[in-house]
Amino acid sequence: MSVRRRTRWLGAGGLLLAALLTGCASASGPVNLPIVSSAHPVSPVNAVEGSKAVTPAPPAPNCGDPTASLRPPPSMPQPGNMPSGSTMAKIQARGYLIAGVDQNTFLFGYRDPKTNVIEGFDIDMAHYVAKAIFGDPNKVQFKAISSAQRVPELKSGGVDIVARTMTISCARLNDVAFSTVYYDASERLLVPSTSDVTSIDQLGGKKICAATGSDSLNHIAAVSSHPIPVAVGDWSDCLVMLQQGEVAGVSTDDTILAGMVAQDPNTKIVGPSIADEPYGLAMPKQDNDFVSFVNGVLDGIRGSGTWTQSYETWIGDRIAGGSNQPPNPQYSN
Amino acid sequence: MVTTTAPTSAPSNPEARSRGAALVGLPTNLAASLRKFAGTTPGRLSIAMVGLILLSLLTGIVGILSGQSRVNTLDDLAAHREPVSAAAQQIYRSLSDADATSASAFLSGAVEPQDLRDQYNTDIAQAGAALAVAVADSADTENVNDVVPSLTLLETNLPVYTGIVERAAANNAAGYPVGSAYLREADGLMQNTLLPAARNLYQIDTASLDAQQDDATSFPWLGAVALLAVLVALFFTQRYLAKRTNRVLNVGLLIASIAMVLTLLWSAVGLVLAGVHVSTARSSGSDLVAQLSQVRTDALQARTDEILNLIARGGENYDPAFHTLATQLGGKDGAGGLLGSLSSASQDQTTKNEINDAVNAAKSWFSLHGSVQSLNNSGDYKGAVALTLSSANTGEQAMVTKLDAALDKAITQGRTVFADQTNSASGALFAWPIGVLVLAVIAAAGSAIGIWQRLREYR
Repeated sequence: MSVRRRTRWLGAGGLLLAALLTGCASASGPVNLPIVSSAHPVSPVNAVEGSKAVTPAPPAPNCGDPTASLRPPPSMPQPGNMPSGSTMAKIQARGYLIAGVDQNTFLFGYRDPKTNVIEGFDIDMAHYVAKAIFGDPNKVQFKAISSAQRVPELKSGGVDIVARTMTISCARLNDVAFSTVYYDASERLLVPSTSDVTSIDQLGGKKICAATGSDSLNHIAAVSSHPIPVAVGDWSDCLVMLQQGEVAGVSTDDTILAGMVAQDPNTKIVGPSIADEPYGLAMPKQDNDFVSFVNGVLDGIRGSGTWTQSYETWIGDRIAGGSNQPPNPQYSN
Repeated sequence: MVTTTAPTSAPSNPEARSRGAALVGLPTNLAASLRKFAGTTPGRLSIAMVGLILLSLLTGIVGILSGQSRVNTLDDLAAHREPVSAAAQQIYRSLSDADATSASAFLSGAVEPQDLRDQYNTDIAQAGAALAVAVADSADTENVNDVVPSLTLLETNLPVYTGIVERAAANNAAGYPVGSAYLREADGLMQNTLLPAARNLYQIDTASLDAQQDDATSFPWLGAVALLAVLVALFFTQRYLAKRTNRVLNVGLLIASIAMVLTLLWSAVGLVLAGVHVSTARSSGSDLVAQLSQVRTDALQARTDEILNLIARGGENYDPAFHTLATQLGGKDGAGGLLGSLSSASQDQTTKNEINDAVNAAKSWFSLHGSVQSLNNSGDYKGAVALTLSSANTGEQAMVTKLDAALDKAITQGRTVFADQTNSASGALFAWPIGVLVLAVIAAAGSAIGIWQRLREYR
């Protein structure tokens, strides 16, 4: 086939393509060009909106104050010298603590692609526990787990402790044990910094993003002005949708939102707290001695200013109205 | 063509007789005189002569037209249809590779390795170039209504895809985890929109290639019927003449008969040979290439899933998708599945060797995937990433590259077999269309001369 012939075919192909796209309507007048008035924006895979996004939460069991935990031992054992037969002694014998963490949540548990090191506020907590057991904060092996894996990993003994933005709740207390509250998060709203919105009530009829299966979706659906909940697979997908202009806001824990602000300075956290999310370090239900020991560790960092140091490092002024003072512990015994 | 058959196809038709009679210059207007004329020996011979000449010429014309069209179809298969189908395969493959490569580059860290960046750029450019060929061909295909939606999807979404990939890379470079969300979004667009469109395009092109192969090997009914009619007419004319004239042999008609028998033999041998070549071109060429292409893109998609699983870092789980594809490709141990059946079904030894190389690479890859998974599960993310991206002899990337290269060679070999066999098929019909016409003219001339000699005896 000659080059000329091929070229002609190409031209004919283009014309025919155009003709077919326009439906090839009239015989007279110029041939209509294909007109695209709007392009459907690309969304993250598995993004679902409206009532399909919300799975009604089962009624929460009542257990009194779920944040009340076991008192620390009267005197903390010396690092490297755990009482024999205790859970800590077993961890000490192994040589390292195994902590289930997130490596995908900026500021709390995140693996820096440049250094390949996992770091964040949650990660600091695990380092403090390791330091109390071994005297060396680095004797900890981080196991990246998904939110859904948190309870199963603890039950199977795959991890000693979970430090992964885990909210203390009565439902979860059936399966695992929690330390005292190490961070008091609250559910808030993230909007573009150019937005005038100051409260979730003003987003009636607008789309608000949250992760599939999270309580935030139920909270969004319960707002009286009826915003439209949009569920996505992962929190980071919400920032994608906000940046692509597909949702008007993102609603979740201010800790996660602060991580989004850190990634995109053109966003801001607004509005009052929609729900309280007290975070605790989770441990296997039967490890009472360990829970008590970890509460002792938390007590230590609260008093010494170490907690505030971690707060300033990771959160700083990213959460408007946030406090750099640790929450007060509640004890059940 | 059809109109010329009307007068000759039914010699008992009075109208046909009248026209035939007119040709030998007899008075024709009256039906009675015609019937009378047809009842005489010269009359019958005249009719037979005209009939034989027309039938022979018809055979020749049908022969050269349909024969040439068949040869053209064969030449077009190798010169045009197969390259278009290969271009569609190229789009499919390049896009799959772009997806896997962008994921690899992302996983490699904030600074993208230059070789991966180059490979991604090449893949996108390659897909674009192949897309241009597909668009150019779209006017030419009968399936234009099926092809245009796929082409539109590809043309409109490819720039969107590259845009999201760059956004992912920019965020990754800044160390922002939202980069992984963008990459997963890009992958979703690729897997759910671009690749299905590319697959659809490829399937349509493969189907038209298949249909054209059927065309090239179809039985030539019209020519066969015409040829048979000439042979039968020659047989009866010669028997009639032998009875009437007591001469066993009529040289003219004998030459005509020999010419027609030669036509029959030449056609039979040529068409059977061409058919065998086209069938080999199909089984060891186009069909094999279609299956290998599917295997190749499936492998690249499995690779993408595997890498995304590490990028998602415990978020979205891509491991089930990987295992589905891996099992489909290699069965339980990497030696079964699609690859295994292709290896055992392959006729061509060179192709078989390449496929076996691919099977071995797949086996090593899938076993290394197990190691990556256990590293990742034990918390050694760094080790898992290193093993996944390693191009060293024992690394996963090396195995994937090896697998892809082996499949590439097997596909090239399949395309070579296709081109060779299709050209051989065309070669088997070399000079056949014009030969049929020449032989038909000889038969017509032989019939004319042979019967004219007898007719002259009645003057």
